[in-house]
Amino acid sequence: METFQIIATPLLLTLKISFIATLFVAVLGILIAYILAKREFPGKWLADVMVTMPMVLPPTVTGYILVILLGKNGFIGSTFNKITGSGILFTWQAAAIAAFVVSLPLMVKTTTSAIGAVDKSVEEASRILGRNEMETALFITLPLAKKGIMAGCVLSFARAVGEFGATLMVAGNIPGKTNTMAISIYSAYQSGNNELANLLVIILVVMSFLTIAATTRLAER
Amino acid sequence: MTIEVDIEKEFYGRKNRKKKGKTPSFSMNCSFDADSDFMVLFGRSGSGKTTALRCIAGLETPDAGAIKINGTLYFDSRKKVNLPPQKRKIGYMFQENALFPHMNVRQNIEFGLKGLSSMEKTERVNEMMSLVGIEELEFAYPYELSGGQKQKVALARALAPDPGILLLDEPFSALDTVVRVKLRKELRTIQKRLGIPVIFITHDPIEAFTIADRMVVFDGGRVQQIGSPEDVFYHPKTRYVAELVGFSNLFDDAVVEGHGQGNDCTFLWSLGTEIIAPFIERMAGDRVSWGIRPENIELVDRRNMQSIRQEDRKNLFDGTIMNVVNKGTSRIISLILKDSEDFLKVEVANHVFNSLKIETGDECMVRLRAADMIVF
Repeated sequence: METFQIIATPLLLTLKISFIATLFVAVLGILIAYILAKREFPGKWLADVMVTMPMVLPPTVTGYILVILLGKNGFIGSTFNKITGSGILFTWQAAAIAAFVVSLPLMVKTTTSAIGAVDKSVEEASRILGRNEMETALFITLPLAKKGIMAGCVLSFARAVGEFGATLMVAGNIPGKTNTMAISIYSAYQSGNNELANLLVIILVVMSFLTIAATTRLAER
Repeated sequence: MTIEVDIEKEFYGRKNRKKKGKTPSFSMNCSFDADSDFMVLFGRSGSGKTTALRCIAGLETPDAGAIKINGTLYFDSRKKVNLPPQKRKIGYMFQENALFPHMNVRQNIEFGLKGLSSMEKTERVNEMMSLVGIEELEFAYPYELSGGQKQKVALARALAPDPGILLLDEPFSALDTVVRVKLRKELRTIQKRLGIPVIFITHDPIEAFTIADRMVVFDGGRVQQIGSPEDVFYHPKTRYVAELVGFSNLFDDAVVEGHGQGNDCTFLWSLGTEIIAPFIERMAGDRVSWGIRPENIELVDRRNMQSIRQEDRKNLFDGTIMNVVNKGTSRIISLILKDSEDFLKVEVANHVFNSLKIETGDECMVRLRAADMIVF
């Protein structure tokens, strides 16, 4: 029973954090990607760079910046504190935010190129047939960019599951609260519990394999 | 249908950003109005005809000017009017069908129908499918269709919302000749049946000639000539239009020598001799251009000189055959004139060519039919 708990807790926590992070990444990522693919505005390149940064920054740097933003004196942390009366650091929500930040670029990059690859004349046909931009995006552009969007979601989910550095900095390693799979593997290995580490690694590998396999099959349809 | 278009637009290369002091890579300044049911915008690729059509559709915004179709103001830069494409009530057919690849034929046609009950929608789609004759393709997806079928679906889709005008951007140019001719006929029949005005773009002179009520010839973003197909084909007003409609023999260095009695003809000095041409209101000494189609030049059989009437023994030239190309039903003969060393292209039916028994290197005699010459 105890072993089950030791495995189940980080597994469920990881799934919870990754699903929630991916959900927000998908919604916001599609929106940002659509704007980047379709709109021209001053400072567009800067917006693009800002979104992409977490992909190339060392996770510790992203983590450090997040610690500052999410801390009691940070912009997000203080606002959160005013509303809820408690801090956000070292909670699973902080881990979800870290996962969100690092996986957003993957979503935006894949989706932007997928949206950009949709035949422009097909979108124009929709406009001429009486549909406004919103309807055109929902019925034509996004369905046609479906594969790219799905790929973005899978990559983001995988990235969220594997998130380690930034999560460790903003959420720590609190058993039962913030010890995700990746962090549990690290601490099991550190404390010499190779048996547990092996088990967790196998679960994570199988999980990743299934996710990728499922989406590959889905994309083939 | 009344169309009033008067627009200006400048393009600045990549990203199309306006830069001070930079000259535009393409500038368009076209104005035409017409009152006809089947109008053809005709010109080479890159002449601006597609841009004009896209401006009418609202897919592109002119820098300045106004567009008014059937009394509705679509665009006016001074009054700050610019209807979005979805409010213009137009049907549009793209060069590459632009069907929605993730929808079947029925869904494609239904897409433009808004504010109808599902019964009415079904009925309308059925009506459109039988109009263009694609009932059996109802549930097929675009990737399962042939090029011709795709364009039929695209036509049905464009017509379904009952647009006030139909715009077609070279819709048949990617199809083979047989299908193209068939679809062209069908389009004309459907257009007459529905009474819907059409603006049609093409770079194919035969296509333009066979379907147009009225032609607008484009070049370099400007309108070169507006008129009936007969006007444009037989009386081109500029060198560009003449070349476009098949006057491949064009000469720019002719000088007016005088006019015939009662102004029935004009005498030109060109090709090192005097030529009798149709009358043109120009003074003696003026420089003019003239041209003639290859098919309007006759090969004269020297053996039968006697059979040519005296009054037809004008505009006769001796030349040497340089090259013969068989076009299938006729031959294009390039010859160099004996006196002036100018080149002429002559098109003769194959049976005539065969009966003359001539070949490359032979000398021959040609006659330009004055009535078929153009002078401008």
